[in-house]
Amino acid sequence: MAGKPPDARPEGGDEHSPRGQQEEAERIGPLTLARHVKDDGRALILYTREPREGR
Amino acid sequence: MSDLRFEELRGEEVTYAIHRQDRTFLPSREHCPLDPSRPGGERTEIPFPSFEIAVFDNRFPAYEAPSGAAEVVVYTDDHDASFATLAPERAEDLMWVWRHRYMELGAREDVDYVYIFENRGVEVGVTLHHPHGQIYGYPFLPPVPRLELEADRRLGGCAPCALLRRELEEGQRVLIENDAAVVYVPYAARWSYEAHVVMREHRASLLECEPEELRLLASALQRLTRGYDALFDRPFPYVMAVHQAPTVSAPRPRAEAAGQGHLHVEFYPPLRTAEKLKYLAGSEQGAGAFISDTLPEESAARLREAIARAG
Repeated sequence: MAGKPPDARPEGGDEHSPRGQQEEAERIGPLTLARHVKDDGRALILYTREPREGR
Repeated sequence: MSDLRFEELRGEEVTYAIHRQDRTFLPSREHCPLDPSRPGGERTEIPFPSFEIAVFDNRFPAYEAPSGAAEVVVYTDDHDASFATLAPERAEDLMWVWRHRYMELGAREDVDYVYIFENRGVEVGVTLHHPHGQIYGYPFLPPVPRLELEADRRLGGCAPCALLRRELEEGQRVLIENDAAVVYVPYAARWSYEAHVVMREHRASLLECEPEELRLLASALQRLTRGYDALFDRPFPYVMAVHQAPTVSAPRPRAEAAGQGHLHVEFYPPLRTAEKLKYLAGSEQGAGAFISDTLPEESAARLREAIARAG
């Protein structure tokens, strides 16, 4: 591996870069990501095994 | 925004993050900012009534874009849990979260080294008791990973691979083995109950691990931390440090560091007995020479017994 790690995407390629479309469900291994922006502008990511309603 | 200054005598960066002076310090249980935000209660850092694993930008960052990153990783919404008591599936999930953060932060041009760690216990300066870790995206290569790369050069190959072979050959300091990871008290441990969790195969980072390796890494980490808690029958303070390959980008001067490294997790527990702490004093701070009160082989025997007891 040389340089930045996205060049070494694992088999399956299920990981998205932060520039990926946020409308799509992002997955990493068995987890689903939900990206949020807090009131003060800070990023918050919730990782769950199963997609949940209302997140 | 923090300020970096280079300390010429030691050849290392010092970070001035003076805004951290006012960060939240040991709040009472009912004001924990890492709890979920329950209906009618305080709005916390995680504005949801429940969650599994949450990662957010540190409110008091030592590093932030465009000069690095500082994130908080909350392992669970259960305030009274710990890494050791997480359900095995949750610990495995945490490995995937670490891997994801390594990938995203490491891809940034302003991050040369992604450092995942946990401070557990007031003895090592924890300011929030809710089970959590942190991630620093350093805008430079810090001294310890730099020294590990120098060890690779000194030993003519991957130093963790060579040291793992020696520990397996000698065997007396090995604590835990599974198909993916080996846990041992290192031959020249600095802390009385220091332990290293090392991947059997050469894996530069979590990105190179197979899913089964991540599961077994989580299992080894949990067995060790449960053993720690059993050792003195009390929550065992430690610093947990995940060491991986630097993420220095190719055009930078230290590009030779990128891609090297061997994924391993080091634990530095400050207790040398049930009640006594090891302090970094004159020799350690002024001369950089650790003096230990215990032999690694004897510590390993005690830890093996505690791990067996913890199950």
